[in-house]
Amino acid sequence: MPQDMPPTGGYAQVQYKRNIPARGFKPAYYMIGMHVIMAYGFYNELAREKMWSRLHLTPLLQAEEDRDQVRRHYADKAREKELLGTDAKVYNSDRFIRPTFAYTPANLTQ
Amino acid sequence: MAQRDARFNQTVLVDTTPMPDHIPKVEEVGATSAPLMSAAYFIGDRCKAFNDDFMKCKDEANGRGEIDCLKEGRKVTRCAASVIKDINTHCLDQFKAHWECLENNNHQLWECRRAEMQLNNCVFDKLGLKKTIPGTPEGQVPVHLRPKQKYAQYPGPQW
Repeated sequence: MPQDMPPTGGYAQVQYKRNIPARGFKPAYYMIGMHVIMAYGFYNELAREKMWSRLHLTPLLQAEEDRDQVRRHYADKAREKELLGTDAKVYNSDRFIRPTFAYTPANLTQ
Repeated sequence: MAQRDARFNQTVLVDTTPMPDHIPKVEEVGATSAPLMSAAYFIGDRCKAFNDDFMKCKDEANGRGEIDCLKEGRKVTRCAASVIKDINTHCLDQFKAHWECLENNNHQLWECRRAEMQLNNCVFDKLGLKKTIPGTPEGQVPVHLRPKQKYAQYPGPQW
């Protein structure tokens, strides 16, 4: 029995690629467009108003907090002096360092 | 370093040792967030010099600002307290209306433009302090002067 052979001239091409025209723009343009729309949405003068209302208050709030920290700092130093008898410097630095451990009074306060 | 305050929620344990005597005393402002926000622009208007001075001092103090800038800090607090006091004496009703509105509206300034307008007018007449938002683009109506507010619950003109 003779073997089956391909037809003369070979088989026809198999259509495996999709042959659809690409619709719309390149994907990158959609990405850019999305960011433009987002940037427009984020732009808001109300945000400026809110930010400045806080900026005007920041020094006031910071000053109050600093005073409280300094008060606690001096209280801590006084306690250390009483317990240790000397002015022991814990850090080799002149900077103001917020304490890692908070002093808890023995009795209920406030 | 502890960047956060110690908060004790079981018992009230606060170090109540007073400030040592060699540091001058100053009364704290004692206002809560809504009145402060309501008065923020007036504080900014009157106290800008003190505020900038304090922040500059802190910036240049090389990490010792907490202790070295106490004097500037007291000035900041006294100035802000004077603004709150003046508003309280001259425009109490408008002030109260505005900050209570803020309190009820999640501190969103655009919900309270009517009260704000009345407060701004009163403060400008009595104290000469004006609300200006720095950095507003030229030729644009500042947001607080637009009667219609974009995100407000009430879409129409607020005054």
